[in-house]
Amino acid sequence: MNDKRILLIDDEETIQEVVQVGIEIEAGWQVEIASSGLQGIDLAQTQQPDAILLDVMMPDMDGISTLSRLKANHQTKAIPVIFLTAKTQATDKDQLKSLGVVDVITKPFNSMTLASQIAKILGWKM
Amino acid sequence: MEGLTQFPSQQFFFQAVFERSLEAIAIIDENYRLVEVNPAACALFGKKRKELVSNKIVDWFDFSVDAEITQIQWQKVDGSSKTIEYSIVKDLLPHYHLLVLRDISKLQQAAAKKLEREHQRVKLFAEVTLKIRQSLQLEEILRTAVTEVQRILEADRVLIYQVFANGTGMPIKEAVLPDYAPIMGVEFPEEVFPEDYRQLYAKGRVIAITDVHDPAAGLADCLIEFMDEWMVQAKLVVPILQNLKSSLDSEDDYLWGLLIAHQCESSRQWTKFEMELMQQLANQIGIALSQAELLENLEGLVTERTAKLRQEISERTKVEIALRHSEEQLRLIANGLPVLIAYVDRQQHYRFNNEAYQTWLGLSPPEIHNSHLLEVHGKAEYQQIQPYIEQALRGETVNYEQDITLQDGCLHSLNVTYIPHIQEEQQIQGFFALTSDISDRKAIERMKDEFIAVVSHELRTPLTSIHSSLKILATGKLGNLSTKGQRMLQIADEQTERLVRLVNNVLDLQRIQSGKVKMNKKACKATDLMIEAVQTMQAMAQEQQVKLVVEPMRLSVWADYDYIVQTLTNLISNAIKFSPPNTTVWLSANKELPQRKRKKHRNISKIIFAVKDHGQGIPGDRLETIFERFQQVDSSDSRKKGGTGLGLAICRQIIEGHEGKIWAESCLGAGSTFYFTLPELIKSEENRDE
Repeated sequence: MNDKRILLIDDEETIQEVVQVGIEIEAGWQVEIASSGLQGIDLAQTQQPDAILLDVMMPDMDGISTLSRLKANHQTKAIPVIFLTAKTQATDKDQLKSLGVVDVITKPFNSMTLASQIAKILGWKM
Repeated sequence: MEGLTQFPSQQFFFQAVFERSLEAIAIIDENYRLVEVNPAACALFGKKRKELVSNKIVDWFDFSVDAEITQIQWQKVDGSSKTIEYSIVKDLLPHYHLLVLRDISKLQQAAAKKLEREHQRVKLFAEVTLKIRQSLQLEEILRTAVTEVQRILEADRVLIYQVFANGTGMPIKEAVLPDYAPIMGVEFPEEVFPEDYRQLYAKGRVIAITDVHDPAAGLADCLIEFMDEWMVQAKLVVPILQNLKSSLDSEDDYLWGLLIAHQCESSRQWTKFEMELMQQLANQIGIALSQAELLENLEGLVTERTAKLRQEISERTKVEIALRHSEEQLRLIANGLPVLIAYVDRQQHYRFNNEAYQTWLGLSPPEIHNSHLLEVHGKAEYQQIQPYIEQALRGETVNYEQDITLQDGCLHSLNVTYIPHIQEEQQIQGFFALTSDISDRKAIERMKDEFIAVVSHELRTPLTSIHSSLKILATGKLGNLSTKGQRMLQIADEQTERLVRLVNNVLDLQRIQSGKVKMNKKACKATDLMIEAVQTMQAMAQEQQVKLVVEPMRLSVWADYDYIVQTLTNLISNAIKFSPPNTTVWLSANKELPQRKRKKHRNISKIIFAVKDHGQGIPGDRLETIFERFQQVDSSDSRKKGGTGLGLAICRQIIEGHEGKIWAESCLGAGSTFYFTLPELIKSEENRDE
């Protein structure tokens, strides 16, 4: 099960790094990095990842706009998207979920358990 | 000698009687012609004998032989008249009658004079009575009485003697001729006015003594001496009785005093008229006394009542001034405050508006006074506020927020409170409306929310990186660290986790306190809540070797599932932290006992949740403060136990958001129990939910 490819769309470089390293160590999955929404959409189209981790709060194009673009594009709309957010409120999470993501993971998370969290959400075996 | 001893002849006698009689005697024949007249008759008619004889008597006056004694008025030639009384003896000798005449003019005049005098006295009496009756002043009445009685009776001294309650008395008014000593103010010795006298007077006895020295008067020696002292020769005493029927419900008269007339110059036979006059005057005085006393009483009452009224008026005036003053102050305050203040009556008409209405809404208070709310606010706005108005008029205090464009053209956030005006017997008269501008507060709130959102993001992101980096390092896959290095890594990891919790708690508490968080209430089974929380805390409990036990109960509550699990988790976490190893933390839920029910919520049953540990316990003085922020029992607790000091404050906010109550009971050394209440789910709600 180390053949999964995850696309992380987040403008924070340290997050990009810890997620990439954490997932690779924990599950051996490949993590592609996009630093903006637009770059993320491009990579999603070209790379066709198994899942997308999408940060909600980003400059220029935020996670919600990015999501709507991904869902509007027939090449990317089937890719499961998981939001990463600093918002912890249940109501906020419910609101985000209703936009068409499979789940919401709140910050701060532990990147060393992130892969198993994703697998659980998407029903992957590890 | 013979001439001296010889008895005169009968004829001579008769002749002498006829000639010398003072009565006028005339002999008339059957034709009423004068046959013979004596000198007295000549004198009566003022004529000589020859002028009378042979003249018919009927020529002078109406003459009748039928009546034996008759009075006639004889008109003389000079116009004067005489009253003549005559008697007739018919047929003294055959064909001759005897006529005896008498001039009674003088007698009649005397009688007329006497009548006139009495008439005068009656007139005077009437005048006195009137004077007495007209005056209601006691002093005036008594003075008039003595003066007038003295004048009418021509007595030497008249006095009014007042009888005191103890039986003594003294003259209190007197009218006395200058020749005699005044007796006024002299207290009469008791022996001259003994009790039996008083009793007789009280029964109305009148004493008239012609001569005090006459033994027939029956006066005691001491009294005679007393009379002599004051040169009294004759006296007339009448009682002055006061009828007290009206005031005392008694039939008896009360002896107020005596009206006394003294004759000092000589003895005096008191006439019946004089006695009656005195008596009647005394009666009048009695009546006048009663009236005067009544008046005095009335005047007293009137004075007393007037004084009271004056005082009342003065007090009322003071109160009114104070009220006006306080009203003016209130008006000034109401107008000076930067809020809208109004009073609305039951018919929804404005009865009071402060001046802020002018500056905020452009509506001057006089302009909207007595206007209906619909008229003032327009249909659209009125429809929005109508439910709140109706709520206030049902007697409930209402609070709501409203965004509205004011006179300045800007949109303002307003906080409106309606306070019902409830008078006695729960009658709702209207309501007070208080409106404050909370635009600034709203703006600050928005800024704070934005700030928190930013902080939330800005703190969480680096925390994620730190946390994740540490976790990655801890795997050892990026190289091995020395034991000391591993320990340092562990500390960094633990403290990061603590920082994460602290950030989460600060944000949670702030959000709940601000009211921004809406409790998403639904039907929750009490047992489910407890089991979920226990499952969450199971790992920590095992680590601490503490057993978690849930007592299942078939009870449901109306609550926000996640928040109540968070509350229970917090309480269990605390219980585990403070429990010694191999002890048990018990969770239970029970129906609230009736005595704990508050009146306000009497229709809503409550469920009490309890989390019980066997830890060190909490001192009594800390049982309340531990629910405040950063108020742990021991400041070292947060470091030792890894707590944030915010857990219980959050729990309290959550429970209060459910109209519940949270508290702790503890026994030092034996453990603590934390309780909270939630509203029990009523059947209809459960059904609705299902």
